Amino acid sequence: MLELPTVLFLSATLFCIGLYGVLSRTNLVLILMALELMLNSANIALVAFSRHWAGQSLNAENFAVQHTGQFFSLMVMAVAAAEVGIGLAIIVAVFRRRHASDVRAATELKH
Amino acid sequence: MEVFFILSSVVAVAGAVLVVSQRVAIYSLLGLLISFAGTAGVYYTLDAGFVAVSQILVYAGAIAVLFLFVLMFANDAPPEAGPLTTVGARKDFDPGAVTQPEGRAKPRLAMPSPLAALVSLCTLALLYLAIYKLPPGFGKFLNVASQTEVAKTSGGTEMVEFGSARGISYAIFDRFPLAFEVVSLLIFAAILGAVLLTRRFAAQSRAEAEALARSQGLSEPEGEVLEKPEAHHA
Repeated sequence: MLELPTVLFLSATLFCIGLYGVLSRTNLVLILMALELMLNSANIALVAFSRHWAGQSLNAENFAVQHTGQFFSLMVMAVAAAEVGIGLAIIVAVFRRRHASDVRAATELKH
Repeated sequence: MEVFFILSSVVAVAGAVLVVSQRVAIYSLLGLLISFAGTAGVYYTLDAGFVAVSQILVYAGAIAVLFLFVLMFANDAPPEAGPLTTVGARKDFDPGAVTQPEGRAKPRLAMPSPLAALVSLCTLALLYLAIYKLPPGFGKFLNVASQTEVAKTSGGTEMVEFGSARGISYAIFDRFPLAFEVVSLLIFAAILGAVLLTRRFAAQSRAEAEALARSQGLSEPEGEVLEKPEAHHA
């Protein structure tokens, strides 16, 4: 039988792998990819907690409440999609300006 | 179900490791796709079928393709030697000056960054400790009724599956309709912002770009030809 801490350990592991990627990479696109990993791991934790509370009799009487965590994870997905759209647009803009997609090429905000 | 969970979590972690370890960005993107697929499997084992399907649709379908497009469009060629992709590299490091020694394979992996590893391992230890110290109530998942009888607003009741699209729609439209509307506004703003960000730079005059290139001490940027195709016909 699956346990909540097991899923949370998976979520924490994925989060820290993503954190390592964000900290160690200098390519803008790769940083954004690692950031996606971190958002994904938070999503796993949300769904796990949703499943946990749905199993408790506490919320069983309200069907909509049982799905709150899953709804949250969908919202995170939507925000992540918006973030990726803007982030990649910024990367394209930086690349047109600096002809590089390295973070060290974009050390000042003025063009 | 537990076997499926272990399988998909191993796939998710392996994909994530691939993302942070590979030097070539396309391999990282492949790892990201694998990790998304594994995550979808994890959602499925947690009785969140709709979230699993949206994970595949949104991440593997839309976001990965966006990443692929930008990688093809705006990525530097990978440096011949490894160090450039990590934080520890020298500031004056010039990737163009590095030549590959004859008969040596290019490094496949990105240079590891000890400082980043330290920070993320400390965070990992902290998170593991916090999970380990969870109160005893947060243990095994209790069974959830696969189908629940829900009262419809139009009268009567219906049987709804846990984690299905219909089940989540109760959460969206019964409990958080405002959040749903705000997110649609957010995505609209993101689309507008993305178009604006990329359009403004494309519409800049050639003289301005040249002035910028001169002030930076660069020769004519190579990208100009791509942005101004009419220059060929002149």
